[in-house]
Amino acid sequence: MQFDFTEDQHEIKRTAKDLLAQRSTSEKVRTAAESGSYEQSLWAELAELGWPGVAISEDHSGGGLGIIELATLLEEGGYALANSPLLASAACAIAIQEAGSDAQKKEWLPKLASGQVTGSFGIAGQTFPDLVDAAITVSVSPDGSSATLIDVSAAECNAVETIDPTRRYGEFSEADQSGEGMPGDGAAALDISTVIVSAELVGICQRALDMTVEYVKDRKQFGRPVGSFQAVQHRCAQMLLNTEAARSVTYYAAWSADADRSLLPEASALAKSSASKAGVEVTGSAIQAHGGIGFTWEADVHWFYKRAQMDAAWLGGTKTHRERLTRIAAAQAA
Amino acid sequence: MDLTFSTEELEFRDELRGWLEANLPGEEPRGDEDAIYAFRTEWQRTLYDSGWAAVHWPQEYGGRDATLMQSAIFFEEMGRIGAPLPANVLGLLLAGPTIMAWGTDEQKDRYLTPILSAEEIWCQGFSEPEAGSDLAAVKTRAVRDGDDWVVTGQKVWTSGAQYSKWCMLVARTDPDAAKHKGLSYFLMDMEQEEVQVRPLVQITGEAEFNELFIEEARIPHANMLGEEGNGWIVALTTLMNERSGLGFFLQVRLRQMLDRLIAEAVANGKIDDPVISQSLGDMLERTETLRLTAYRGLSTIMKYGQPGPEGSLTKWLWSETNQMMTQLAVDIVGPQALHSANPWSYELLRARGNSIEGGTTEILKNIIAERVLGLPRK
Ligand SMILES: Cc1cc2nc3c(=O)[nH]c(=O)nc-3n(C[C@H](O)[C@H](O)[C@H](O)COP(=O)(O)OP(=O)(O)OC[C@H]3O[C@@H](n4cnc5c(N)ncnc54)[C@H](O)[C@@H]3O)c2cc1C
Repeated sequence: MQFDFTEDQHEIKRTAKDLLAQRSTSEKVRTAAESGSYEQSLWAELAELGWPGVAISEDHSGGGLGIIELATLLEEGGYALANSPLLASAACAIAIQEAGSDAQKKEWLPKLASGQVTGSFGIAGQTFPDLVDAAITVSVSPDGSSATLIDVSAAECNAVETIDPTRRYGEFSEADQSGEGMPGDGAAALDISTVIVSAELVGICQRALDMTVEYVKDRKQFGRPVGSFQAVQHRCAQMLLNTEAARSVTYYAAWSADADRSLLPEASALAKSSASKAGVEVTGSAIQAHGGIGFTWEADVHWFYKRAQMDAAWLGGTKTHRERLTRIAAAQAA
Repeated sequence: MDLTFSTEELEFRDELRGWLEANLPGEEPRGDEDAIYAFRTEWQRTLYDSGWAAVHWPQEYGGRDATLMQSAIFFEEMGRIGAPLPANVLGLLLAGPTIMAWGTDEQKDRYLTPILSAEEIWCQGFSEPEAGSDLAAVKTRAVRDGDDWVVTGQKVWTSGAQYSKWCMLVARTDPDAAKHKGLSYFLMDMEQEEVQVRPLVQITGEAEFNELFIEEARIPHANMLGEEGNGWIVALTTLMNERSGLGFFLQVRLRQMLDRLIAEAVANGKIDDPVISQSLGDMLERTETLRLTAYRGLSTIMKYGQPGPEGSLTKWLWSETNQMMTQLAVDIVGPQALHSANPWSYELLRARGNSIEGGTTEILKNIIAERVLGLPRK
């Protein structure tokens, strides 16, 4: 047993972090959020590096690595709040890899892996990240038992404004109307997307915690740093606990997607119930620990809170996934 | 990343399982502390005779040189099969490792084997009426008199003192030195008139812990562990060992408790109550988080030689979860869970101690904030 990344995986994560620290600075995140558009050059660079297809098989021009590697990239994407369709497009590609027919894979995977086109993924009738500019979308039923491939240019879809301007969201006008059926495992597709958005949430939590620790060390009231007050310290300790808890179960779930699929349904529910809770609580705590500044548009913490809210709700939040955990355990007990 | 056990780890586990199946004793007696103690002593002898008493100890002291991972497997298996705890838990987990770290060769030769064989039971004499969380405030005085130290003071919450031959004692040897600098660490013989043990009845009605009244007890200088004035640092070694390994045992027990609750909720239909279902989902999330975080913490220590941030979190998470789970049992089992004859009633009460013993949750949060996150001290 070795519950730690391999050297290669650490290296991928470190490289991603360094790159995004330069390319996805707070100013860039803000500019993209306020203008409602992504910086194309960032996507081009990520595509060049092979991020969208990192977990797509080499047969389909992907990187041939696993969900663990994809999850580390998304974690760092969350940490930097990178404005790009990476989550949506990677989720779409994974879904086609899991559920698509050979023809569907052949047609779409190379294009998605290279970043030449982008994709989206979601549950029918709900919000889809980065939908409007996508070429192709996979829509699944809530339990993943059926999956449909939708050509976005032929479908009627709209942009929807949400609380999170760091990412663009959309919805189909009439759910499930068009599209081709997919013969494969829609449930696995849904579970894996659930895991990778959990990874993004872990990154968001880590960043919110880091920003908060830095701020409370610096900000002085009553003649001392507010971070020396025990109520603030214990809040930060709780933020660490939530973040590390979500990290443990999310890494486990990513590993199960690569190594032991029998564990994936339960592991993905664990990851998302924990990461959704952590995301919402840790970023909310970050605002509180920043005081009035934290409530301003000017400070950056609110972007993390907003993204965390959307991620937490996407593909089911804590309540949905806890219910699922109980159902799985009850079935084993019965 | 590989979350499966290696061949070597599986071999270790299977050997242990085989041995346990052949040697596991029957049900532990309930209620009668002396009977429980006798039962656990017998069990530790059995473990010792087959070399299973302390797998993580070096072979030269009777252990197996087990890796941390094997030690975790050992405790998980013990928990899974429902094995009793050994009688000398504090000796095995605290005194032994502290003596190995700080002891002279003579001390190691003298003390380690009887710890392993349960011939000599140990207790931890740290806390005092006025020094709990603020451990460095201990007042028990030790004054040098020739080759001896003469010790006077009071200790409290001393678990297992009534069965102990030896006590890990922290006492003040220099009242003029700064708080943390004036302490020394002693190995005190409990079998002397000058040490009186008085049981303290706890909220469960049992008396696991005691008060110690120490009135001019004599401790030979040779029984000082570490240097004079170095007691705080030696005590930290003991405290750092407080949770190692045992955490895996406790985490498995917690999961077994949860499985019993789920089975009960399935049987009585409460599983369909959405509030109960949510609470159980929360418990499932917590128990899995504990298991995985414990393994992650272990991998970090094995690979980097020091614990990561996750290491400080599991005791807090475990104690909180145990309290929530025993409370949830009252909802699922119903008010009978509070009847004395029902084992849940004991679990509910005993769980209150979890967030106090071995460092309170508030103190753990302080440590996390200051040492892990680097927030400024007051
Ligand atoms: C079942 C059990 C077994 C035990 N066994 C042993 C044993 O074998 N040997 C031994 O030496 N001790 C033992 N203890 C004692 C245990 O270590 C102490 O009870 C514990 O360290 C707390 O000290 P205290 O009881 O004096 O509480 P106090 O320190 O008085 O704490 C009272 C309250 O104040 C809070 N508090 C104190 N300081 C701070 C602070 N700086 N910041 C925030 N909050 C604070 C605490 O969290 C707590 O809620 C045992 C305790 C229990 C419950």
